[in-house]
Amino acid sequence: MTTVTDPALAAPEDMAGSIADPGVVAGGPGSPANAAPAGRWSHRHLLDVDVLTADELDLIMHTTDTMTEILARAIPKVPALRGWGVTLLFYEASTRTRVSFEVAAKNLSADVVNIAASTSSVTKGESLIDTIRTLEALGARMLVIRHATSGAPYLAAEHFSGSVLNGGDGWHAHPTQALLDLYTMRAHLAGGSVAGRKVVLLGDVLHSRVARSNLWSLTATGADVWVCGPATLLRGFEAWAATGVAGARRFTVTSDLGGALRDADVVMALRIQRERMAGGLLPSLREYAARFGLTRERLALARPDALVMHPGPMNEGVEIAPDVAAGTQSVVAEQVANGVAVRMAVLYLLAGARDGRARDSGARDSGARDGRARDSGARDAGAPRTSE
Amino acid sequence: MTAGLADRSFVGAHLADLEISRAWLVDPVSGREGPGEIVVTDGVLEAVTWLEGVEADGVDASGIIVAPGFLDLHAHFREPGNEDAETVATGLAAAAHGGFTAVCIMPNTTPALDEPSVLARIRDATAASGSPVTLLAHGAVSVGRAGEQLAALGELADAGVVGFSDDGAPIRSASIFRNALAYAGMLGLPIVDHPEDATLTQGAEANEGLIATVLGLRGWPGAAEAGAVARDLAILAEVVGDVPGARLHLTHLSTAASLELVRRAKAAGLPVTCDVTPHHLALTDEWIAGSRRWSWEALEDNGAARDPWRDGAITARPFDPSLRVNPPLRSAVDAAACLGALADGTADAIATDHAPHAEVDKAVEFGLAANGISGIEAALGVVLAAVGAGRLPLATAIAALTTGPARVLGDRAPGGPGPRGLVEGRPADLVVFDRSASWRVDADTLISRGKSSPLFGRELSGCVLLTVAGGRIAYQAPAEA
Repeated sequence: MTTVTDPALAAPEDMAGSIADPGVVAGGPGSPANAAPAGRWSHRHLLDVDVLTADELDLIMHTTDTMTEILARAIPKVPALRGWGVTLLFYEASTRTRVSFEVAAKNLSADVVNIAASTSSVTKGESLIDTIRTLEALGARMLVIRHATSGAPYLAAEHFSGSVLNGGDGWHAHPTQALLDLYTMRAHLAGGSVAGRKVVLLGDVLHSRVARSNLWSLTATGADVWVCGPATLLRGFEAWAATGVAGARRFTVTSDLGGALRDADVVMALRIQRERMAGGLLPSLREYAARFGLTRERLALARPDALVMHPGPMNEGVEIAPDVAAGTQSVVAEQVANGVAVRMAVLYLLAGARDGRARDSGARDSGARDGRARDSGARDAGAPRTSE
Repeated sequence: MTAGLADRSFVGAHLADLEISRAWLVDPVSGREGPGEIVVTDGVLEAVTWLEGVEADGVDASGIIVAPGFLDLHAHFREPGNEDAETVATGLAAAAHGGFTAVCIMPNTTPALDEPSVLARIRDATAASGSPVTLLAHGAVSVGRAGEQLAALGELADAGVVGFSDDGAPIRSASIFRNALAYAGMLGLPIVDHPEDATLTQGAEANEGLIATVLGLRGWPGAAEAGAVARDLAILAEVVGDVPGARLHLTHLSTAASLELVRRAKAAGLPVTCDVTPHHLALTDEWIAGSRRWSWEALEDNGAARDPWRDGAITARPFDPSLRVNPPLRSAVDAAACLGALADGTADAIATDHAPHAEVDKAVEFGLAANGISGIEAALGVVLAAVGAGRLPLATAIAALTTGPARVLGDRAPGGPGPRGLVEGRPADLVVFDRSASWRVDADTLISRGKSSPLFGRELSGCVLLTVAGGRIAYQAPAEA
């Protein structure tokens, strides 16, 4: 496991005088034995995984190791984000993502504000931009947004002076889900790497932000990705697979379930939503389950130790059979648990990048907003920072 | 040089005398372009002189250009009903800034322009504006543009509309389309259709293809346009047998497939015309991903569309709502087809589809943004970018902004069919622009109330210096400081 070098991540008994200084998390001078890459974090927002390099993904994974270690403590709480306002703005229903972000932020001692659009001024017609400005005026420094419209977090990022984290937008992206999926795969696959491993994304790929974000992160890390589902739910992906997008990041698109599952290392079933029938994309859930449902018999085509994953919430008996969902190969519950650690890591890295930038620009003590987040006078005592 | 909101007290003033020597003249009527001089006396284009030999030395097409005033077949001025977005007065002023001396507005006002009193109101606003730019109108095809019952086509024709359209929306019912085509044909007017099979575009956000797939935007298939074009052409082929005057104009065609259908229909002798927009020939769907290169820069040598991610062409934030437009920005292959259609005459005109919106309707999530680009002022600059890149001859571009659209309107073109050239003895109707000067497209430089354009921040070459309509000043660039 990673050595903790940042005092802000120390256990509570060691906390005296520590500051919110998200500096070198792993691979820094304080951890010579650590094999982590000396990756640096420079992003202000996490809007998608498409911009992340393999090194940056590694950095997130190793930071997540540290967070996993923290979560194993008796008191899984550290002061890294003490005084930081983290606002969760959810325009769509969500259980696991919202709660996971909330727990993650609280574990880092952030002040969490939780807003569901259905109970906010959004119902009075307030625009997204006005909502963002209002939340910023109320002290939000980090904003987690979930929205039914693809790209909405990009609009938010343009009008928010802090960091925006995409908690899922339309069909477009769900970066923390892709990161927790990657973390979960790496934790189980021999060698701790997905490189060369056959990963199957099965089901409603067309409407899936989880699939899109996973395509970026898995191809970046060298996995052999297959997307499989009925032709109506793969529309457009052949063009993506053919170009590879951004270089040699190709993947395979097929409606042949047997071919996709054969010798797979990971099978991720995607949720089928009932409204897909109304648009004529599928004849019936029954037919979908019969042709594309992940059953025990079909799973037998994959490698014996293949991982079974699902981003949730599951329609058991439709895209995944109950015995597979609850079977020994299933890591669905682990995905949820890892979600907290990954989100802690991302919040922490984003906070660190912003602290660092404020320093670089010489604006160390300018503005109450930055000052508020820091314990008096102690801020130069920390370890070297990622941005230096 | 900056254009924009300068003193506009000159608007409508009689152009007493003007002499432009040693400019590049483009006259699409005679088909001639070259060094020359013009003289306007008392508002009348008195002399057009072509320079030869030594006199022509040093004059080329890279500096001051004089051309006939442009005619836009497709613009939305939003009055009555949505004056926050545009009024007749601001729309006409914007048009003049873009070099246009005549504009056909679309009938999707509130209420719709489906009977003469709405047109009368718009004409009152035109007169009150003092602008010398000619306002022409397409009447609605159906009552309230609802697609169910024919609007007062005969009364509208008598009141002077130049065609009929339900633009903003397609004519969904094939039956209504067929009847409208015959009835308008009897009146000697074209049906101007916005071809879109709405059953394929429910909730659609971006051109179906690589970009929409990667960005998770709801796909807007090219077949929605080509399918509607095919329907329209099949019906036209039958209707012309009964009604020889039936004419179809297809507006803002955006795909290679639909332009190919028109190409074949024209070859078969069908009375069909079409236009393409500046944004569909120069911009592509990859702009939504954050690319900002012109369409011709996004093509492989073999004619395929390039991958902006692989090219490292992503330079702006994705999902810019100013890029939401109907029809959607298409692939580089489709944009190349728009340019090719202009070059071979398949497309008769460049129309702006100027679609201004209030900021509250555009500064929102991409998928919730109103469709439309405020484009009438930047049209010339965008077209000149294609000219500058060698993708469109200057003379073809000017013809597509002048004689081409006049031919579409036929008898009802301002001044009758044909002229829109540099014709001596007629009231001056021309635009003077400087290709060697550039201006920055921005909220401050656009006169239109529609302050949404994907070109904001970009420098476009081709500053309009002077627009003269009917012998009166429509736009005059502010004197340089």
